[in-house]
Amino acid sequence: MDRMLDVKNLMVFFENALALNDLSLEVFRGEIVSALGSNSAGKTTLMNTISGLIIDMKVKEERRGGERITLLGEIWFEGEEILNAKPSHRIKKGIALSRERHPVFPDSDVEENLRISTYLRRDADLQKSYDFVYSIFPPLKALRKRKAGFCSGGEQQMVSIGMALMTQPKLLLLDEPLLGLSPAMQGSLIKAIKQIREQGITVLVAEQFARPLLPIIDRGYVIENGMLTLQGTREELKENPEVRSTFMGV
Amino acid sequence: MEILIYGITNSITLALMAIGFSLTFGISGLPNFAHGAFYLLGGILTWIFIHQLGLPFFFSAILSILVVGVLGFILYWGLMLRLRGLAINEVIATLAAAIVIIEVLRYLGFSGFTYVLPEFVKGSIPIGNVWLDYQRIILVGIGIALIIFLYLFTHRTRIGLAFRAIAQNERTAISLGIDSDWTAALSLAFGSALAVIAGLAILPLGSIDTEMGYDILIYALAVGIVGGLESVPGIVLASFILGFAQILVATFFKAQWLTVITLAAIIFILAIKPSGIFGKYKELEERV
Repeated sequence: MDRMLDVKNLMVFFENALALNDLSLEVFRGEIVSALGSNSAGKTTLMNTISGLIIDMKVKEERRGGERITLLGEIWFEGEEILNAKPSHRIKKGIALSRERHPVFPDSDVEENLRISTYLRRDADLQKSYDFVYSIFPPLKALRKRKAGFCSGGEQQMVSIGMALMTQPKLLLLDEPLLGLSPAMQGSLIKAIKQIREQGITVLVAEQFARPLLPIIDRGYVIENGMLTLQGTREELKENPEVRSTFMGV
Repeated sequence: MEILIYGITNSITLALMAIGFSLTFGISGLPNFAHGAFYLLGGILTWIFIHQLGLPFFFSAILSILVVGVLGFILYWGLMLRLRGLAINEVIATLAAAIVIIEVLRYLGFSGFTYVLPEFVKGSIPIGNVWLDYQRIILVGIGIALIIFLYLFTHRTRIGLAFRAIAQNERTAISLGIDSDWTAALSLAFGSALAVIAGLAILPLGSIDTEMGYDILIYALAVGIVGGLESVPGIVLASFILGFAQILVATFFKAQWLTVITLAAIIFILAIKPSGIFGKYKELEERV
């Protein structure tokens, strides 16, 4: 299989606190892979490190002599090492992130949120991308002139993922997409994630709600205290007693 | 009638003075205390281009808008880059830059009746029983045109949308590939250029005085604080409140009270609604 993302021995320090400890994972083209972990396990740090937000933060902190962020290890994406690449470079390469707690642009309407997300694109064919997002998230079409700040949490989550899709990613990073959503909304998001993969986009999703997510993933990793404690296929994780007790309440 | 007409022109004047400052702050959270200095510098540069280099007016005007815009850009990369997010340092650094610019201009003697910018069109027309000069009418036109232009710019263009994205949620904007340094530098350049445009419209009404460098900053701050920094409707409303307040005070009391009422308005608003009439309180972490 074609290895798309390869994270090797990643370590992230905030000052002296270790946020990610010698973490390695890989994602193959066309997969849905999950990084399961409870609060403060390091999921968001992992997502932000792959998307480049951490490196951006590190550069800005260092400029003003603030908190030291240290990154060690390697991140390979389609044959290029990107640990120190700018976020914009990674987006051009095809990595897009939908951030935790769906932070959208509240004063812009839904369509403008999507439009802003095409900042790095030079082609003019936005309509096709809008239609693609609306086909995955049909409710957004009716909401397209509403300010994103006045959409419900679930709708904002759709906008947030839609924004990432507008960058035409090959690898979509989802940081806790199910957080704070009703079970019904979680269900329709899971369906949408499946549809996104069917369109040829590879998905890496960080999540603590394993129960709705497990049925659609190919493989998964479990992160605890910044360390990888477990990995396996969907069936292996489903059967694992630790996963069952920690993430599924069995 | 007189109060109405001069109130309107004075209000638009204030809006013009404030809009560049507010734009920069609204987008990147940078308080550009060199705003007034840039206003002054733009006027003086235009005067130099016209009278010492013999360039035509419109060419001089555009040239000084560009020069000061580039200066704003350099101010970001040279000075503000390292201070981002440290509010007090940002104020100190830009205020220091302002003092350097203004005091050097004062030292060079760019003050007084020699230094007058040409009006766009000479003459005046009567409106009712008030004689209004064309320059003030044009000034109102420029003010309205600028506000419309800024609205279209920030809603229709790629860079304008990036400006609004950074203003609303910087980290999300970065995660979409928008470069926050580049936008901040551009916003400072834009704000500075707007200061010059305001100067070109307002300065022909009198002669250039280096003291203006400080006055303009205070007026821009007053409008921004009363209306809510970063809010365009707030800026317009605050300009009208302060504009009419100033004219009323100047008419019925003394002109000296003009600055007092402006500063009193700042204190009054800070006491009752610190974020301004239309302003929104932002968490510190959101700003950084």
